[in-house]
Amino acid sequence: MSLLPPALPGASGAVYDRGYRPYTGPRGGRREAAFAVWRLSVRRALGLRRSWRQKVFPWSLLAIATVPAVVMVGIAWVLRDRPLDLADFLADGFLSYREYVGVSTALLLFVALSAPDMLCPDRSHRVLPLLFSRPLTGRDYVYAKLGALAFIVFGFGFLPQVVLFVGRMLVSDGALDYLTDNAEVLWQVPAAVAVLAVYYAAFGLALASLTDRRIVGGVALLGTALVTSTVANIIQEAAGDPGTPLAVVNLLALPLAVRDLIFLGHIGTDSDLTGVAGGGVLAVSAYALVLLGCLALLQHRYRKVDL
Amino acid sequence: MTYPGGTTALNALTVEVPRGSVGLVGANGAGKTTLFRLMLGLMPPSAGWLEVAGRSVAHDPVGVRGRLGYMPEHDCLPPDQTAADVVATFGEIAGLPPRAARQRASDMLDLVGLDEARFRPIGGFSTGMRQRTKLAQALVADPELVLLDEPTAGLDPVGREEMLELVGRLAGFGISAIVATHLLDDVQRVCEYVVMIDRGHLVLAGPIDQLTQRTGVMRVEVGGAPGAVASLVAALAERGVDAIALDAQSLDVDTGRCGEDTFDVVRDAVADLGLRLYSLSTRHRSLDDLFLQRAAEAAP
Repeated sequence: MSLLPPALPGASGAVYDRGYRPYTGPRGGRREAAFAVWRLSVRRALGLRRSWRQKVFPWSLLAIATVPAVVMVGIAWVLRDRPLDLADFLADGFLSYREYVGVSTALLLFVALSAPDMLCPDRSHRVLPLLFSRPLTGRDYVYAKLGALAFIVFGFGFLPQVVLFVGRMLVSDGALDYLTDNAEVLWQVPAAVAVLAVYYAAFGLALASLTDRRIVGGVALLGTALVTSTVANIIQEAAGDPGTPLAVVNLLALPLAVRDLIFLGHIGTDSDLTGVAGGGVLAVSAYALVLLGCLALLQHRYRKVDL
Repeated sequence: MTYPGGTTALNALTVEVPRGSVGLVGANGAGKTTLFRLMLGLMPPSAGWLEVAGRSVAHDPVGVRGRLGYMPEHDCLPPDQTAADVVATFGEIAGLPPRAARQRASDMLDLVGLDEARFRPIGGFSTGMRQRTKLAQALVADPELVLLDEPTAGLDPVGREEMLELVGRLAGFGISAIVATHLLDDVQRVCEYVVMIDRGHLVLAGPIDQLTQRTGVMRVEVGGAPGAVASLVAALAERGVDAIALDAQSLDVDTGRCGEDTFDVVRDAVADLGLRLYSLSTRHRSLDDLFLQRAAEAAP
């Protein structure tokens, strides 16, 4: 760096010719590169450092996912001085923690819009050669994207549960008693929400990796949800009671079956797999198979890149 | 390097290049981009090995990429983001801490002349501004070596001049550069070393100033009576110097036998014949001449 002399005697300003300055600070490797991709993907999905229009959608969905919990806690708070009404409401009107996991289609809608937005622009704008010319591998990229989407879906699914739990503590007779009586929820909820978040994120990203167009990726996910659930219903009705193992074709309901196993230890009565012998094992196996399939597809799609 | 489909993109290419600015020259399809792919470790060679910045690409592709910057030929920038965000993003992915990446992004955009446009979305940039942004992202992590793929592609004459001026300054920053292009003029202007490839084969490699030095031929132009050139050729032959008449006024004289004394021999012969000597100069080869000559020799 050179300091040029002032143009006039007595002038207070100075002009610096900074030229090129080499970087001598810390420099990360693969882990830091992957973490940077994760951080940038989270930021993009939430619309941070983007225009207000990009922020509307994710934060609206978070609000939609949280509003039912806030409303229920609000009603319970209003009824707190009327013990009989409160008891009725808590028994019948208040959603359980199990029911709240995945109850909102807002999560699925978020994945349908965010997963393609995370992957497709990198392909369509041919940014991948720039990314992979850094200390980053295709696997790092895939898991950073998966981690980012799963993290946000987890947050959107977990935050309302926190509202629900804290609200119920506040309206209960003794907050500490409620906490100790429901201690198992403290691991069940995060586990079930994580199961849902990872599955939805992997599924959404795997479909999005097959196309360069965002709209196609989103429609593919929602279409898959619609078609597989319709097919499962038809099979279910044809099979009658008890259910049939073929109901596993309802792919986006599989994490809800695993959720049942976490909360109840068995498949819930509202599941397509109710009454199926070995339904729990079937659900977990199908869940793992689909998840691994999605991860394999993602890794295959990003195993190499054209410059 | 043979692709799975059987296409051989590079064949028996053995070359070692020094630090500094290196031109990688070849026609479209010569194998320049394949060589970049191999250097970045994005694909393994079907045979042979590469070492970049002292590291084996096969053993440590990620480590090699940590020392490289890359500027692709094609458009590769997200149009909905600002130049500052894009360059900082690639700085972070190259391993810089976020704050340092933002600072370096600002410095690099300043360096390439985009300081005032850095907060504008790239979608509204001209081709020249996009090329500068691509160069800035390649430099943001202070690489040892940058791979520049057709850096002047699509630029108007002014933009081309500015880009070449920027590329020419890289060596002064301590950054080596490999400039892949089919424009030999660009290479001759900003590079010290050249590697020429054609259809996957090495045509020639070496320092440009040595390759373009004297050809061993002196061009002489004379005036006088008709047949002056023929008589001069004969006179030179008597003095032991080979010469070839080109037209009624000029001839090429071989300087190989007499070396620097050829000037004196030609001068004396012209004076003895009473001719007018208009010009007398040794010829320098251009990279175009070299490429065409060697490619023709190498052609099957």
